[in-house]
Amino acid sequence: MDWSLFFDLTVSGLTLGSLYALIALGYSMVYGILKLLNFAHGDVYMIGAFIGWFALHGLGGPLKPDVGAWFAVLGMFLFAMLGCGVLGVAIERFAYRPLRNAPRIAPLISALGVSIFLQNSALLIFGAAFRDYNTFSLIGGKTYNYGNLYLSVPQLMTILGALGLMLALTLFVSRSRVGKAMRSVAIDREAASMMGIDVDRVISVTFFIGSALAGAAGVMFGLVFGQIYQFMGFIAGLKGFTAAVIGGIGSIPGAMIGGLVVGLAESYATGYLPQGSTFQNLYVFALLILVILLRPSGLFGRAVIQKA
Amino acid sequence: MAEDGTPDLPAPPDAANRPRIGVDEWVAQVEGRRARYRGLRGALLERFERLPLAARFALFLVPAAVFPLLTNQGNVFRYGLFTLVYALLALGLNVVVGFAGLLDLGYIAFFGVGAYMYGILASPQFNNHWQAEFAIPVVVLVTALIGLLVGLPSRRLVGDYLAIMTLFFGQAFVVFVNNANRINFPFFGHVDLTGGANGLPNIDPLNFFGYKLQTTNEQYYLLLILIAFVLVFLYLINQSRTGRAWRALREDPLAAELMSIPVNRLKLLAFVFGAAVAGLTGAIYGTIATAALPGDYDIGLLITIYAVMILGGFGSIMGIVLGAVIVSSVPELLRSPGNARPIFYGAILLTLIVKVRPWRRLAAILAGLVGFGFAVHAIAHAAYPRLVAGSAQGSDRFAHALNHWMLYPNNPGKIADVAYVVLVAGIVILPQLRPLLRTVLLVPLFYLVMFVWENLLLEQISGATRLILLGALLVALMNARPQGLFGKAYVEIV
Amino acid sequence: MPETPLLELRGLGKAFGGLQVIDGLDLTVNEHEVVSVIGPNGAGKTTLFNLITGIYRPDEGEIRLDGANVVGLPAHAITNLGIARTFQTLRLFLNMTVKENVMASQYGRTHVGVLRSMVRTPAARREEREIQRRAEEKLAFFGERLMGYRWDQPAFSLSYANRRRLEIARAMATEPRLLLLDEPAAGMNPHETHEITELIGRLREDGGHTILVIEHDMHVVEGISDRVVALDHGVKIAEGSFESVATHERVIEAYLGLGAKEAG
Repeated sequence: MDWSLFFDLTVSGLTLGSLYALIALGYSMVYGILKLLNFAHGDVYMIGAFIGWFALHGLGGPLKPDVGAWFAVLGMFLFAMLGCGVLGVAIERFAYRPLRNAPRIAPLISALGVSIFLQNSALLIFGAAFRDYNTFSLIGGKTYNYGNLYLSVPQLMTILGALGLMLALTLFVSRSRVGKAMRSVAIDREAASMMGIDVDRVISVTFFIGSALAGAAGVMFGLVFGQIYQFMGFIAGLKGFTAAVIGGIGSIPGAMIGGLVVGLAESYATGYLPQGSTFQNLYVFALLILVILLRPSGLFGRAVIQKA
Repeated sequence: MAEDGTPDLPAPPDAANRPRIGVDEWVAQVEGRRARYRGLRGALLERFERLPLAARFALFLVPAAVFPLLTNQGNVFRYGLFTLVYALLALGLNVVVGFAGLLDLGYIAFFGVGAYMYGILASPQFNNHWQAEFAIPVVVLVTALIGLLVGLPSRRLVGDYLAIMTLFFGQAFVVFVNNANRINFPFFGHVDLTGGANGLPNIDPLNFFGYKLQTTNEQYYLLLILIAFVLVFLYLINQSRTGRAWRALREDPLAAELMSIPVNRLKLLAFVFGAAVAGLTGAIYGTIATAALPGDYDIGLLITIYAVMILGGFGSIMGIVLGAVIVSSVPELLRSPGNARPIFYGAILLTLIVKVRPWRRLAAILAGLVGFGFAVHAIAHAAYPRLVAGSAQGSDRFAHALNHWMLYPNNPGKIADVAYVVLVAGIVILPQLRPLLRTVLLVPLFYLVMFVWENLLLEQISGATRLILLGALLVALMNARPQGLFGKAYVEIV
Repeated sequence: MPETPLLELRGLGKAFGGLQVIDGLDLTVNEHEVVSVIGPNGAGKTTLFNLITGIYRPDEGEIRLDGANVVGLPAHAITNLGIARTFQTLRLFLNMTVKENVMASQYGRTHVGVLRSMVRTPAARREEREIQRRAEEKLAFFGERLMGYRWDQPAFSLSYANRRRLEIARAMATEPRLLLLDEPAAGMNPHETHEITELIGRLREDGGHTILVIEHDMHVVEGISDRVVALDHGVKIAEGSFESVATHERVIEAYLGLGAKEAG
């Protein structure tokens, strides 16, 4: 066995997986509370990557940032997360909230509408060309290695950053008042509202957090892979959702594990399976089908009891 | 009090938006009548519903049959053929989504399978030149079979999982046809199945018993006849026990199952039926386009077909045909800036007329808009000449008039981008404001809409703009009428 | 009794998580009998119905309809064998008309497939007429309540009491041998409750149905039942005539909550 290939694939799988996990969290939290499949989530992630790019250039560009390189990176994350959070709240307000009592399919269509709107707005404003993060000039091309294990700085940053964000989220949901409110709204929205919880606010907070995480993932993608483009959101969103389903939709630890599973599966498929670099998405799809068939409620999901 | 002695419940103020548990039947009747027959559209719908069935069909089929006689082949191709293809696709999709309530986002892949299958059976790629009377049944059967295979694992899934499974399937199809020219298949070795990114070229024309359908008109009439058949079949199925069972399971799958309806089998049936219609349409589309290209079967078309179905109203067969006419012809008309401008301003004016009451307020807004434009133009002319250095596209009188009213910066790039973002933010924020402020801000917002339109959207009219408008339309339509433009209001108990 | 009972439950058990909702339940219902199931909230009554109709699968035990085990069959197949039910929470097809509701539930009793209805063969027409006729017949069972102009109104326009009636009509249209009624008198006023009591009597006398009914209203239970079964925490605590069950010590304890103290 070629261990250095294996380590490379593992590292890139973990990196991808961290991104998917962050995206999956947004899907999973929203689904948990509203039972809504937020198709526009992948595009929020794309917008996050672009906000990061603009923040970087607003701070002087990758070659000669006005502030220190690390502050520039911090600024990119802050702006992207804030911007995407606000965007997420606006999307909920505008496209989903009026449809809470509409037939189940209406918000899905609305979400599809938001998705094409965002994608093509990005095309209109940012143009069709790829944009370069130029990470190499910004923070250098240093890699850490432990024997056969090579880790670039952005990869390390992504894995650790995602870990930190997820830890913070877990603490927030389990400890804070709003977090507890979120959990109770997820269990029974009506009962929660009767207990004096402001459901609308909780939903807004959920969208803010989920979208902010997607924004952070967008910036991480830019830092690791260097280039960003309009249609990066679609496939990433699909994978994020897959991760959420595999982990068990509605479950926060499920989304994290699901993200890593999808990332690693994709990475190993690229390296080891026949024509993996072309068909890695098909292999991920096959994995999704397998999980759904064997455990329809996902790895961490709980089976739902039908009410009669 | 109602006749059976149950006391009337007072209707809550937002009654229209809530599940109507316990509402007395008289109230519900009156509300139902009001919801269905209001305004011009309501009056038309009512007329339409009173027509005998044959007359309703004729109302669509006769104008469609006459259309090619009135115009040239180019228009028949651009408007006619695409309308019919969209209508056929949407009718099939409607069985899946509208009748059975399944969200199938891989639908377009079946359309693609149809075109590629036909290409494999009748093109120089494998030197097969099957006649259509054999090829089409084979294609339909194969797509139905693939539909069955995709549907089987989805059977036990709740709606949203099915959506994601099928979306993935659609994506997988695109990836596959793009790369299938590079695959080494087991047993067969290297076969160039799909021509990769270049597609399958030179598909034979439809060849029925030696008669080749090559002209646009022939293809048009074939599609029209097909649609007539599909319409009649769907109507009859809808009236039959299967149609009733589909509607029942869409309403309440658990109750349907307990009322002796095999829910899973019927869902699968609807899914396969939809796939077969898409496959059939795909085969015909392949011969019209004379090629199968991977780009034709992507998410863009999926959204278009959904837009057709939604405009028409879920479950309403006739509405869909109308939806197809709108969705296929409006973007085509928008393609040229000369048409796009009147359509855009007409739509804005129409929205204002319909939405703003009383007419005095409407007049105030319009007058304000005109005055605001001249004022802004004058200020910009005096203070920032750069903002008025450019000029409107086109040279008709309307464009000249616009030059004195609208701002045209010399090189709008960045200004227009910022204006666009501000506009989107403004539209989101506006409904949250107090009524008075809202009315006051409405004028600059509309001016901003036109500024962005003139300086940014009009440039990209054949690309991003059309899709932006489509996306915005979907969101707006779901907000205003979740049941679709021509659908009936739908009561759902959550 | 030498003849096989219509419905026979043997050692039925079902748990959700750690909670044993139904525990080793034996129950028989004979042909043309009306049996009432009573018990405090959470006693497992509706779960019992869900087990019999195939919504849940029991963890243990057997459900025999006319001697044949139906455990593991899909719900629609069980309905086809002759068990139909109504729902406590009312689950009509609200956007379909009154008549369509009753026509839809004849799916399992009819046979014309998609292809034949697509071209409307004579057989398809005949069957459709038959479905119409049977639907009208079922609706006529309720006197004027669901007749005439109401046929073509959507079900959501019905009053609460009429919705309950339509649920029963819809269940009857599956031609069941055993009818399960889940709290048919819930939410009704005294006048309507009285009417329901009469209706259940007629369902047996004229309709020839065997009925298993969950009911809270003791007047209804008294008026309709040949036999009463009392459940508490998924266990049968009493069975017999209304008088004997209603005065049974454990039943009174279960309703007044004394049992919990003693057991604890």
